[in-house]
Amino acid sequence: MTSWPKSYPFALFIALLAVVPVGVLFGLAADSTQLFDIQNLRVLGNTLLLMVLTVIGATLIGVPLALLTAYVQLPWRRVWLIVLAAPLAMPSYIGAFTLYAAFGPGGEITNLLGIPTPAVHGLVGATLIMVLYTYPFVMLTTRASLLGLDGNLVNAARTLGMSLKECLWRIVLPRAATGIAAGGLLVALYTLSDFGTPAIMRLDTFTRIIFVEYNAFGLSQAAMLSLQLLAIVGLVLFLESRISGSREKPGHHLTLWPSRWQSSWILLTVAPIILLALVLPLLIFSLWLLRDGTEGFELSYAWNSTYASLLAALVAVIIAIPVAHAAIAGRMGRIMERITYLGFGVPGIVMGTALVYVGLKLPFIYQTLGLLVMAYVLRFLPLAVGSIRSAAEGLDPSLAQAARVLGSSPREAFQRVTLPLTMRGLVAGAALVFLEAMRELPATLMLGPTGFETLATYLWRVYEAGYFGRAAVPGLLLVLMSGLGLALMLSGERRAEFDIKEDHHS
Amino acid sequence: MQRRTFIQAMAAAGTLGSLPLAANHVLAASDLAAAVSVEQLPPLVGDITLYLGRGEGGLYENVLNAIRKRNPKLNLQVRRGATAALANTLVAEAKAGVRRADLFWAVDSGAIGMVTEAGLAKPLPTDLTSQLNPRFQYPQWAPVTGRIRTIPFNTDRVTAAQIPSSIMALADSDLSIGWAPAYASFQSFLTAMRLLEGDKLTAEWLRGVSKHATSFAGELGVVMAVERGEVDIGFANHYYALRLKSGKADAKVDLAFTNNDAGCLVNASGIVALSDDDLPINFIRYLLTQEVQSYLASEAYEVPLVGGVSPPLGLPSLSQISPPEVDLTQLADLRPTLELMRKVGVL
Repeated sequence: MTSWPKSYPFALFIALLAVVPVGVLFGLAADSTQLFDIQNLRVLGNTLLLMVLTVIGATLIGVPLALLTAYVQLPWRRVWLIVLAAPLAMPSYIGAFTLYAAFGPGGEITNLLGIPTPAVHGLVGATLIMVLYTYPFVMLTTRASLLGLDGNLVNAARTLGMSLKECLWRIVLPRAATGIAAGGLLVALYTLSDFGTPAIMRLDTFTRIIFVEYNAFGLSQAAMLSLQLLAIVGLVLFLESRISGSREKPGHHLTLWPSRWQSSWILLTVAPIILLALVLPLLIFSLWLLRDGTEGFELSYAWNSTYASLLAALVAVIIAIPVAHAAIAGRMGRIMERITYLGFGVPGIVMGTALVYVGLKLPFIYQTLGLLVMAYVLRFLPLAVGSIRSAAEGLDPSLAQAARVLGSSPREAFQRVTLPLTMRGLVAGAALVFLEAMRELPATLMLGPTGFETLATYLWRVYEAGYFGRAAVPGLLLVLMSGLGLALMLSGERRAEFDIKEDHHS
Repeated sequence: MQRRTFIQAMAAAGTLGSLPLAANHVLAASDLAAAVSVEQLPPLVGDITLYLGRGEGGLYENVLNAIRKRNPKLNLQVRRGATAALANTLVAEAKAGVRRADLFWAVDSGAIGMVTEAGLAKPLPTDLTSQLNPRFQYPQWAPVTGRIRTIPFNTDRVTAAQIPSSIMALADSDLSIGWAPAYASFQSFLTAMRLLEGDKLTAEWLRGVSKHATSFAGELGVVMAVERGEVDIGFANHYYALRLKSGKADAKVDLAFTNNDAGCLVNASGIVALSDDDLPINFIRYLLTQEVQSYLASEAYEVPLVGGVSPPLGLPSLSQISPPEVDLTQLADLRPTLELMRKVGVL
């Protein structure tokens, strides 16, 4: 026991904290009369169907784009990469909201141009939107895998007479399979826990039905559904932990030079994705801004969002340090870290349900900012842990040792060597938590202090009331925040993923 | 029968509504049972927390802001949420021995029923409840405004005569219908149907209607679809059509009413005092003033429930309407309604 690293007790405490919401749900669900009924089967079907279709769609778009951004020499490659990754930074409910308002009879497109468009809703609509905002997961993970491959194999195959297409299919993609799978699982996880999109698209998935039950006085039923959803999430997380990255010895980087018409063709096929995922929401919000102005909006909403998210980022990073340390220190620590990942899989709506009841048991934190920040931290802690861990893992221990040899105390070595070197990971982790907290919707709706309106909750409120025009300012601000988040990601932990030069990949 | 007299009283007030505004005010002022003015009310001082069951957009917001502006020493905190969710929260809070709200303003009387059943509502003084129309006097809660279930129809595609006078008959009609099954008002209407006709007939009705119905997210969407001619008729609260017509004079939509069934249920939004204090009671008094009631009637097209305030312009002759006898607080029995809707597959 004495040989346990110092960070273990902290990490253990945080891991236990991460289990609290699940424990609460079990307690609540115990009152539920039915374990499972026909209605659940339909919800389960919808949820799984949406998940599978989204993963397929995101892979079909993400993998070619990964090949494109990893290998093909296009003008402004970095800009392309950033633009194509940008939907990741946007909350998908922004897309759901604007596409819902743009398409269909009476939608903005028909109103403005008189062109009848099909309505975007239901399973098809939800899949479309989820794919548009999750394909970057697959694109980025696959691209990272592709960049780690030795291009000489392709050159050898080409020399032996294999066509380029066949080469990509039989030589390149099989070796990037783990990257694709990792991205696909992230997509699955995101799809399972998303609340806004199915709600706006009116598709009965677990998250939507949990909200309906919560609203219709059926709390134990909501808890039961939450546990069923968590079981699926657990399965996905388990699969994810099974994926082990294989690494090849770095070799020659593969580069493809498209002809001019090929470049134009690529541009044409990529354009609709960008138009739908990025340009259309911006256009719709701008249209509403011009038509309705800033009516109803108060600056305090933006401030509340920022303030709560900053607090969450700060707390998450402070807590993440011992967890990341424990994860590096040993097997037990690794298990504790895995447990804190539970939070990332707990959908916001589920976290909200659970923490509302924690608050009721501990009235002094009920409806306080503290409880909301706790929800953010429990949900997004893994983001901070991940970036800090990867920064610390990349650290050469001999640097701190050298400082010690040169006479500095352990404390000084930590302060002057280790800490500055992991700073980038800390900042990146904080930025990721901040960004996620800014756009979090369901838990904020349920847990926020009285009178505490944020950008996301205000957007939801105007959607529900049908005052779509008032979504302009909060919508644009959320997009702007997402842009800032993307910029931070580019300069922080994920920077390597966006680097163009092949020798810089991680 | 007393409800009938209320409707007749509203109808009489409706004819006053067509008089020029100034004359209208004079008549209202001379009326003995006229609503009080905010001028007669004590100023509100202190901290108060209101759970607001999400008013229809900015209009309830404007009322609250006006009250704030008039009472600078009032620190009013508002927690917003779906009416049903807040009712749920209140009951859960009470169970845990926590109380945060002093007032609960719900847009649906079913949710109020739930809160009063849980014993959370504080009794209201009779001088407050007696300001309300006699059919809308309850000891523990104050209805704020009324809303009537209607059938908006597209005036190009159907005539009023083509619409059956029984809501139940619509299941077998060949009219295309727009509805919003997930909407609280619709669910309350369906609960009323369950109470009046029984579960079996309600389920059959749902099955019949769902065959020629198109779903919308809310009832404003239903009325807009009716106006565009996407569907022939719809199910919606009365004010959506009136609001649409106020913004678009040539809107191709009119309202039809069924006869003595859930199809023309008169429901109410209402407010409950949750803490023993004069402040919440006095706050409720503000909502029943001439000023607030006229504002909600003229801007939100809701039906005022105090004396001397004209109902919204454009509400058709109320004397022809015969709403069913339903105790509004019974509409709290929502769960079986949801289960029924699920079983039929419309939710």
